[in-house]
Formats: sequence, structure tokens, C-alpha cells
Amino acid sequence: MLVRAAKKRIKILVATLSLLILIAIFSLVVLRDNILYFLSPTEIKNSENLNYSKKIRVGGMVKTGSVSINNNEINFIITDLSNEIFVTFKGTVPNLFSEGKGVVAEGKLKDKKFFIAKRILAKHDENYMPPSAEKILNKDVK
Amino acid sequence: MKKIIFTIISISLFLFFIILFDSLKINRVYNTEELVGKPIPSINLEYLNEDKYFNTSDLSKNQFTLINFFSSWCGPCRKEHKYLISLSEKNLKIVGINFKDKKQNANQFLNDLGNPYYLTLEDNTGKKSVDFGVYGIPETILINKNLLIIKKYIGPIDKKDMNEILRSSGIK
Amino acid sequence: MLSNLGNLFITLTLLSSFLLIYYSAVGLKKNGSLIPEKIFRISKTQCLFTILSFFILLVAYIFSDFSLINVYENSHTTKPLLYKISGVWGNHEGSLLLWIVILVIFSLLFLNLNKLADKKFRLFTLIFQNILISGFLIFLITNSNPFSKLYPVPNEGMGLNPILQDPALAIHPPLLYLGFVGSSIYFSAALASLITKYNGSNFAKTIKFWVLTSWFFQTIGILAGSIWAYYELGWGGYWFWDPVENSSLMPWFLMTALIHSILILEKKNDIYLWVIILSILTFTMSVTGTFLVRSGILNSVHTFANDPSRGLYILIFLSIMIFSSLYIFYKYAPSKKSNFQFLSKEFFILINNWFMIFFLIVVLIGTLYPIVLEVISEQKISVGPPYYVIVMAPFLIPFLYFVSRGPQAQWFSAQSNNKKKNFLVLFFSVVIILVFFYFTKVKDVLINLILIFSIYLILQTILDFFRNIKKNYFNLSRIISHLAFGFLIFFISINSIFSTEYDLNLKNGEKIKLDNYEIELKDLNILNEKNYKKIVGNVIIRDQKKDTFEFLEPEIRVYNMPETVTYEASIKSNLFFDTYVTMSNLSGSEFYNLKFQRKPFMILIWLSIIFIGVGGFLRLLPMRQKK
Repeated sequence: MLVRAAKKRIKILVATLSLLILIAIFSLVVLRDNILYFLSPTEIKNSENLNYSKKIRVGGMVKTGSVSINNNEINFIITDLSNEIFVTFKGTVPNLFSEGKGVVAEGKLKDKKFFIAKRILAKHDENYMPPSAEKILNKDVK
Repeated sequence: MKKIIFTIISISLFLFFIILFDSLKINRVYNTEELVGKPIPSINLEYLNEDKYFNTSDLSKNQFTLINFFSSWCGPCRKEHKYLISLSEKNLKIVGINFKDKKQNANQFLNDLGNPYYLTLEDNTGKKSVDFGVYGIPETILINKNLLIIKKYIGPIDKKDMNEILRSSGIK
Repeated sequence: MLSNLGNLFITLTLLSSFLLIYYSAVGLKKNGSLIPEKIFRISKTQCLFTILSFFILLVAYIFSDFSLINVYENSHTTKPLLYKISGVWGNHEGSLLLWIVILVIFSLLFLNLNKLADKKFRLFTLIFQNILISGFLIFLITNSNPFSKLYPVPNEGMGLNPILQDPALAIHPPLLYLGFVGSSIYFSAALASLITKYNGSNFAKTIKFWVLTSWFFQTIGILAGSIWAYYELGWGGYWFWDPVENSSLMPWFLMTALIHSILILEKKNDIYLWVIILSILTFTMSVTGTFLVRSGILNSVHTFANDPSRGLYILIFLSIMIFSSLYIFYKYAPSKKSNFQFLSKEFFILINNWFMIFFLIVVLIGTLYPIVLEVISEQKISVGPPYYVIVMAPFLIPFLYFVSRGPQAQWFSAQSNNKKKNFLVLFFSVVIILVFFYFTKVKDVLINLILIFSIYLILQTILDFFRNIKKNYFNLSRIISHLAFGFLIFFISINSIFSTEYDLNLKNGEKIKLDNYEIELKDLNILNEKNYKKIVGNVIIRDQKKDTFEFLEPEIRVYNMPETVTYEASIKSNLFFDTYVTMSNLSGSEFYNLKFQRKPFMILIWLSIIFIGVGGFLRLLPMRQKK
């Protein structure tokens, strides 16, 4: 009797474990497919093996004075102070998008200096100041 | 058995916390390192209270110059102002560039808090500051007589930064 | 003046906290079953002190006292009163104070509401509560003091970010905090219960009220945040799987698991340790969420003013919290075996818990993975929203099935005599979806399956309701919550399939034809408001199929303090769909960019979430009467 109970328990244990492992593998595979690399213009410039067919995110500041709009697209420059990248985007930018503010663009790279965005995410902030005004770690130059 | 499980949990949690602590140290997005050693651009800026222009290349007369971007509407600028004043008292030449501001407000700001600048210039459109690589204020740049950038501070400077500026400019 | 008073009161609160810890420790050693009157008095005074300090900050905001840095940085004289008030918790310092106020009030309530509970248990809970209170207070005083002075005093403040001037967001943080902080009570109670070897079923009865309360507020809080994102962020979505949003969702999963599992503990005095673990995890998760949000280590769309020293403090606090609870658990946890009947009610409740833990882990991995990877490999990544959907959506199907089966099961036994009926209901749901499929031709198998099972849940819950009427026994709160959950999944699925979106650039007076719609930007008006100027576009949308017109007025607002541009979406809602238009114009070009969206069932999605919460709330009412 006891043996049978023990066997049953082992069976349940094995079943649960294998189910868990399967779920874990499934989740990790999906996770791997949905990773968006987040790069700054400098990292794009320095990177050697860029994947031009995979979606990435580029983050930085919208350079002041760089935004221009025409018939069907918006062009602007994302800067991280050291390097810049041109971004073109069709569609509505979120209402927090503005010059001198933080921005994250999601899309694909055309080349190292040109980025085609599919989605623009502006950062919202509890303060008025551009994020720059906040203290940033290691902000001083070594 | 119980002991083993708890040890494993503790160790993995411990490792996890180490990672979190580490992540706090990571620099967020903006890095000004590459600007050091580069010269500042030569730009004509109007005086705040006079109808004259000043070219930034004239700053080569000074041994060291601190360029500070400020505005009356900027809160952190108020916080750092006292450090700028103590720096000016130590005879460091400070140029203030008033960013996207109204003249009246800017003068009011300097009257209320004191004026640390030996030169106050204005950039009411904010366009010229962009050429300096400014993307938000306050920002402070220390240059030498060759107009090369020695230090660049994003956000308000604090006591530590102030001492660093004094050291780098050879005053202390 | 206000600054000194405020500082005085928070210091006094901290002192009372120390006193409470001391007297509770003394009280533990004394015999007798009553808690000394002194403790009640100190607790009440402490509560008074914190409320006063919060009140002072409130007064400073209402009368725009800019001698406080906090008020100066977040308020402005011309701001409407509502946003002056909500400005108090619209920033880190103020929200931390609010957090502490709620924490203190809850501790006092706990002390007073559970007069029947064991003295030792209550005193230990009080001690742990006050350790938490002093931890947060020290953080507030040393690092994030809302009463810091500013000299010289400026004439005008910097104002609150216009994007945060929204009624939904004004109530969002307090609601979430009621949820987060409410979970601190059962965190402390769980530790106290372990140490005092408290009876499991009594423990369940004590914390039930708090679990339900915190869960209710958390639900409504998440809803408010979601509504805000939908109306204000201007890209028409209501949930972005953003780390900041995730950190409010993760404790919610745990609270939901708890609500279900304390039923077993209460009725059967089983799975005691599991409930303890859940209780500890919930508050831990809440603080972890706060850490992630406040330290700024996340690449989030929502950035809060980041200060690494804040993150460091919260992290140290968090690690102390986790390791000491781990130690207490290790030292005091009794070893006990549970006995489970397959397919009994307990079985289904535990299944609910597994699913909740699974959802939690999925969200946790998605949120933390970027942080871990950044530390290890210095690569910055973010996890795209599809990850969450792809991983969780398939599991919704069995989950929905179990939710509909669970309530029919019996306590302690595996009897079930509804097999035929269940099959019939399932068959019926499939038929509904097949009819639906015939008209819409939605080919996605997964979505169709989810729809089938959400309808299955809805039907089963309705049947359950009728069975209840027959038996004259009501569990209305469960029926409402489960029904609303079924509807929620149903509406979200429909919404995700049938949302349409168009982006177009129009000049003033132009019109354009798109599929079935004709969109016209008729004219633009400029209006001056108190603290902003607005450009209002008159947009006419003609549905060519039904030949109906809709008039929308999206706005571009230019705030003057300091200059900030926001775009206000114009949303026309009815029961079946929302029409959503945002307008933007950059750098003064003559083109206006319009984003036009049709989103079905938005109102019903909000309503479903409200009813999920209402279900939980109803549970609270009879509990009150019993006391």
C-alpha cells in the first residue's frame, strides 16, 4: 500500500517536473525572440556586428532644433551627447515627445547613422526638468 | 534537507541582490566622457543686459573659465547657485549663459540669489546652447585657456563637484 | 515655520515608533492576556503625529508655501486646487510620506480591530509593523525629506507636469499605496504568527480583512493607472507591460492567490506554510516594485526622478527584510504534511495559486531579465510586450477552465455530478464562437480558444448563480468577480482583434478617405485657458457604411509654466466602441498629424475590472457585521 502511494507520488512529481521544464523552455524561447536590444547612438557607432533586420530600441535625447515634419513623416536626431543618429518616423508621436527630452525609438537600423522607427516612446517624468537636470551617476568626466 | 533548501535559496537570493546592487552603479545612458579634451565651439552670444556680442574664443584670455548654463525657471539651478557663488569668490572666472529665459526674470534671479558671473550672456532661443552639446540645464563646463573642455557636469553641481573644479583649475 | 513643524511631527512619529517597539517587547514578557493601555495610547498619538505632518505638507501645497523645496519643485500658484492637493503625492518625497501615513493608520487599525486575537501575536505584529515604519521614516528623514527648506524663498513654483494633471492619476498613487501598504499588515502578521506558533485558521481570519482590502485597492489602483495611460499617454493603449506597470501587477497576482488560499486555511487549517510564504512575498514584492520604480534602474517609459542613493537605501532595506523573514521562516516554520484530495475544492484553489505564481514568474522574468543582463554583459535590452502575451495567453485557456470548474467542487472530496452539464456548456460555448467565427473569420486559433473558454466561464458562473438561488446560499462576491473576470478576458480578446488604427497627415480644411471612413480636419481654433493655450481641431469622421458622423475635438495644449506641449486625445465612448483621435503638430508645419483609432469595448473592459473589484469588496461587508 505504502509502496503504491510512494509510486503514485513519484509519478506526480515526475509529471509536474517535466511540465515545469517544458513551460520554462517555452517561456525562455519566447523571451529570446522578444528581446529588444537597447542601444545608444554611441553603441551603434562602435558596434561591429549589428543586425539590420532585427528590431532594436535607440534611446537618448531628442536634439534641440532637430525636429522637422513633412507630408508624411517626422525626422529628428537622437543624441547621447557624443554621437547622433537620424531617425525617421511615420505616425503620431506620443504627447510627451519634445525637443530636449528623453526619447526611445523602436524600429530597425538602415545604417549606422540612420534609423527607421516604427514606434516612438517618450519618457514621462514626474518633474518638469529634462531628465538631464537630475543627478546622473558618474556624470563627471574622468 | 530543509537546511539544504534554505541554503540554496539564501545563496541565490544573495547573488540576486549583488546583481541589483551592481545595477545601481551602472551609468545611465548619458556619458560625457568623449567630450573631454575637445574644444568648445566658437559662438557669438549676446550680452544679457547690453546690445553687444561676445565671442567664446575670447575666453582664451582666462587661465580657466567655467561656463554655466542657467535659467530662472530651473529649480536645480537654484540649488547649485551657492556653489557657483563660492567658486566666484575664489576668483574663478564664471560665464553664465542664460538659457531660454526672459531677461527680466533672469535679472531678478541674479538679484535674489547673487551674481557669480563675470560675464552674463543670453541664449533665449536655446539654439546656441545646442552647439555646446547642452541638452538640459543646469550644465557646467570647465575649459582651459586653449578652450579645451576639462570637465563637464550635467545637472546641478554639488560640494564634491565644486572641490573638483577648484582642484582642476589649480586654485586648491 | 511649516518646515519646522513638519520635521517635528515626523521626528515624533519616529520616536513613538521606537517607544511602541520597546513597550511591546516589555509587554511580551508580562503575563496576562491584555495589551497594556499605554500601547494603545502611544499608537493613537503616533497616528495623530503622522496625520498632522501630512496635513502640514498639504497646507503648504494648498497655500503655495515655496519655502519648502518640495512645494517649489512640484507646485504653482495658478494650479487648480485638485492638482495642488494631488501634487502632495505626485513626487517621491510626498508619496513616501503618504506611504508612511497609511502604514501608521493601518497598524493602529490592526491593533484595534483584532481585539479577540492572541496578545502575543498582536504585539509581535505591532513590533514588525513599527520596524517597517521606522525603516521608512529614517529613509524619509535622511534621504527624502519633504520638509527641506529653500532659501531664499522663490515667488513662484515650478508647477506640476501637465501630463500628471489628470483626475485618474491624482487618485492612482493613493489607491496603489493602500494596496501595497495593506500587504505590510499580513507580512508582519505572518512573521508574528510563525514566532508565536499561532493557530492557522485564526491567522487566516485575522488577515482575511487585510488581504481583501489591499487586493481591492490594488485592483482599483491598477485600473486608475491604466485609464490614465489610455487617456493621457496618447497612443491608445491601456497596458504596455512596462516595468513600472508590471511592478503594480506582480503583488496583485500574489494577493489574488492569497484571497483564494486563505479560504483553505480558514476552513481546513491546511497549507498554513504556503499562506505564510504568500503573505511574506506579497509585501516583499510591493517593496521590490517600489525599489524598481524609484531607483531608476529600469529602462522604463515612465521615469521618476532618479537618485541612486534612494535606490541603495530601499535595496538595503529590502535585503534586510527578505533575509530576516527567511531566517524567521527557517527557524520557526513547523513541518506539517498536507493531505489533498484530487479534484476537491482545495485542489482547484491550489491550481489557481499555481497559475498566479506562474503569471508572476513570467512578469518577474520579463521585468528583471534586462537588469540582470545589463550587469552581466553590459547589454541594454528591453523585453517586448509580445513576450508576455505569447507566454501567458495559452495558459489562460486551462486557467479559465479551472476557474469555472473550481466553484462547483466540494470541500474535502472529489465528488462531481455535473459532467454532462459541463460538457453541454462547453459545447454551447463552442457553438457561439463558431457562429461568431462565421461572421468575422478570425483565424487565430488561440484567440478563438480563449474566447470559447471565457464564454464557458461566463456561462458556468451564471449557472452557478442559479444553483445558488436554489440552494438559497449566496456567494455573490465570488460569482461577481469570476463573471467579471470572464467578461474581462472576453472583451480584451475582442478588443485586441478588432482595434483599428490610422495615421494621417492633414492640412487645415483637408479631408481624406480611408477604407470605410472619411476623415476631415474642418478647422482649428485657438483658445486661452488659465494656465495654458490650446489649439482645438474640429475633426469630422464619417462612417461611409452606416453613413454616420462623429465630431471630435483633439487638442494641442501649450502650458506656460514652463513651456510644455501636450496632446489631449479626444475620445468618444459608447458601450460598443471608443473613437479615439489625437492630433499633433511639430515645429509649426502646416500639416497636422492625426491618429484615428476605433477600439471596441473599452468601457466594458473598465467595467469588468470595476466589477472584479466590487466582488472582493462585497466580501468585506458581511465580515464587518460579524464583529
